[in-house]
Amino acid sequence: MAATVLRLRFALLRNTLRAEPWRLVLLVVGVLWALLALPSVLSGAVWLSGQGVDVAHDVLVVAGTLLAVGWAVVPVVLPSLDDSLDVRRFATSGVPPHRLVPGLLLASLLGVPTAFTAMVCLAPVIVWGGPGTRPALVVAAVLAPVLAATCVVTSRVATGAVARALGARRAREAGLVLALVGVLALVAVVAGVGRLGLEGALERVPAVAEVLGWTPLAAGWAAPAALAAGDVPGAVGRGAVAVGSLAAAVLAWTRLMRLAVVRPPAQHGALRRRTDGVLPVVARVARGRWGGPGGVAATAVALRSLRSWTADPRYAAALLGSVAAPVLIVVLVATVVDTPAALPLGLAPFVAGSIGWGRHDDVAYDGSAFWLHVAARVPGWSDRLGRAVGVLVWAVPLVVVVGVGGALVAGRADLAAASVGAGLGVLGAGLGVSAVTSAALVYPVPAAGGDPYAAPPGSVGASLVAQLVSSVATAVVCAPVLVAYAFAVWRDARLGWVALAVGAVVGGAALACGVVLGGRVLDRGAVRLLTRLRS
Amino acid sequence: MPPEPAVPALRLRGLGKRFGRTVAVDALDLDIPAGSFYGVVGPNGAGKTTTLSMATGLLEPDTGTVHVHGVDVWREPARAAALVGVLPDGLRLFDRLTGPELIAYAGLLRGLRPDVVAARRDDLVAALDLGGAGRTLVTDYSAGMTKKAALACALVHAPRLLVLDEPFEAVDPVSAAAIRGILRSFVAEGGTVVLSSHVMALVEATCDHVAVVAAGRVLAAGTVEEVSAGRGLDQRFVELLGGGAGPVELSWLRPSSG
Repeated sequence: MAATVLRLRFALLRNTLRAEPWRLVLLVVGVLWALLALPSVLSGAVWLSGQGVDVAHDVLVVAGTLLAVGWAVVPVVLPSLDDSLDVRRFATSGVPPHRLVPGLLLASLLGVPTAFTAMVCLAPVIVWGGPGTRPALVVAAVLAPVLAATCVVTSRVATGAVARALGARRAREAGLVLALVGVLALVAVVAGVGRLGLEGALERVPAVAEVLGWTPLAAGWAAPAALAAGDVPGAVGRGAVAVGSLAAAVLAWTRLMRLAVVRPPAQHGALRRRTDGVLPVVARVARGRWGGPGGVAATAVALRSLRSWTADPRYAAALLGSVAAPVLIVVLVATVVDTPAALPLGLAPFVAGSIGWGRHDDVAYDGSAFWLHVAARVPGWSDRLGRAVGVLVWAVPLVVVVGVGGALVAGRADLAAASVGAGLGVLGAGLGVSAVTSAALVYPVPAAGGDPYAAPPGSVGASLVAQLVSSVATAVVCAPVLVAYAFAVWRDARLGWVALAVGAVVGGAALACGVVLGGRVLDRGAVRLLTRLRS
Repeated sequence: MPPEPAVPALRLRGLGKRFGRTVAVDALDLDIPAGSFYGVVGPNGAGKTTTLSMATGLLEPDTGTVHVHGVDVWREPARAAALVGVLPDGLRLFDRLTGPELIAYAGLLRGLRPDVVAARRDDLVAALDLGGAGRTLVTDYSAGMTKKAALACALVHAPRLLVLDEPFEAVDPVSAAAIRGILRSFVAEGGTVVLSSHVMALVEATCDHVAVVAAGRVLAAGTVEEVSAGRGLDQRFVELLGGGAGPVELSWLRPSSG
């Protein structure tokens, strides 16, 4: 079975490379990057082999922990998994998921990041390659594949679990509680480190590494070190933790796969119910100035777009990646170390940019449901304006809060207005650019009800173009906003109000132009857009 | 039946569409008289969906023209769109809305006043028996329920012409009877219905006109009596499709009816 799955993987790779030369470029760039990074890992390992056992243990354990956490977190924040070997595609073959596991595991090892990780996992072999640590060398060599496999399986379990959590309400609530506990724990750790100061914290590293070395995160890295230090029972125990946690992760993965086949993420749990969020609101709004047919349509589009943000896992995943993750990371980092003030001060424009820029896939997310807009010949500007308003109503307050908060965290309350201005300007620029690009360029995205962390096959080239064009255009449009902000930050904080005004004006103007221009593009090309969406 | 006015409800002239090397629709001509209940039948892959997509402005034709009650669909799209209600086959819906929300959404997109939309939505929910689903999102609907919600979306702006692609697929018999009743009274009031199907019996029982389409062309068109020529539509269909399409092919047509 494993051989069949592997052959399938190679056939798929060959076909996608043939259909999408873009992927080959990506592959080559990835391989080059890995080759360039390898010497520094090698020389680090060689240096470490000359240090004492304690130092080597601490460095390896901390590095291993970071690697493991990275594999668990990065795929959730930057969804880019190839789903061509999604277990659900095997559902009709009648092969039980647990028989597919070995093959799928081997197949997912084939990749640049995985190959690089495997090399890094071999680093302990070099560290313990000295004459006095032969037994440790053997243990390190045996554990290296376990470490690499743990990383890969962890990433699959993490994305699988998050996808399920985003798809079901009850699981989402449980996930929220878990995430809250995790954040609180992190805050406690960070606050503790902050109290000690960086120097004090570094002194604690050996104690922390000692504990981490017994956890699934780094047990496999600590086991050879324990043996090198002469602690045979400790080495056996840590080795058992490493192997046991890989077994547990594989079990969890198998269970997730079985669940994915039996109850796909989008279709499990209770029926979802909502109170009417469209007509009553439109009736209230439309009694005012928005009486025209185009205004009614725009209001309806805005409300439908708002519903997507709360009920569609793909939008929830976008929120997680572009708002929750950056805010948390910056706030946590800023409370520990003396970060340059630019980091929290840059938070508002960054969050605003990734929200606005991310909307270039808005129409792609509609998929063929977009026919309803085409059949009704919704005026292009109504469609564009509605989608923009659906984001603005929550993003503007959010950017204001993040902007003020960022300035406060940076200890520069005098720059609060400038920070908010930069955020609003970038938000408007991003939404304006997306209003045009999403009407002109669509590419395959995860289908509604599908796994939000799976990139559909055949999407890389097209999405690269759309993302590149959107990024460059957004950068150009929001340049004046950022320049004004930079002046306020580095020259004179009294210019902050100017930065706020520039941000509001440029953002508003960019959005207005985007709505008009994108609307015209849509008026002319909506039918062709639909043709591409339905294929 | 009222006397046929000179301007047909739907007039297709020289309609053509290719996908790569495949010719899906080949210079197709068809007149659908106003006030008719028109069935378009043909084997799978005959070009029915492509033709209906082009007729309703959802797919750009390579050649030819489409007129709805004399309005050119591709020259005056907004005017034509107001006259047509569409039920496409195989396209998604905004399934994060509830059924009633989706119906209201379709009406509002067409710029109808909210109070008008509210009244029509309530009528449609009652007529199509969508009330039981309450506040459930469309994504959790069954296939038949989804079809009914989509049909309501096609009706909400009170079009003069209804173009329905496989409207009875996946719909249970009770709902199918209700839908047929709604469509019949729509025709009785002077509206026009065009529906596609590959189920002959259904077309024979429901429609007064029929066109047989195969390989992107119209093989025969007219009243059901004219086309079947006293031999039953099934029999006639086999004859029109030629020797190759014997009873072996027809055997899959019947059991696939919903």
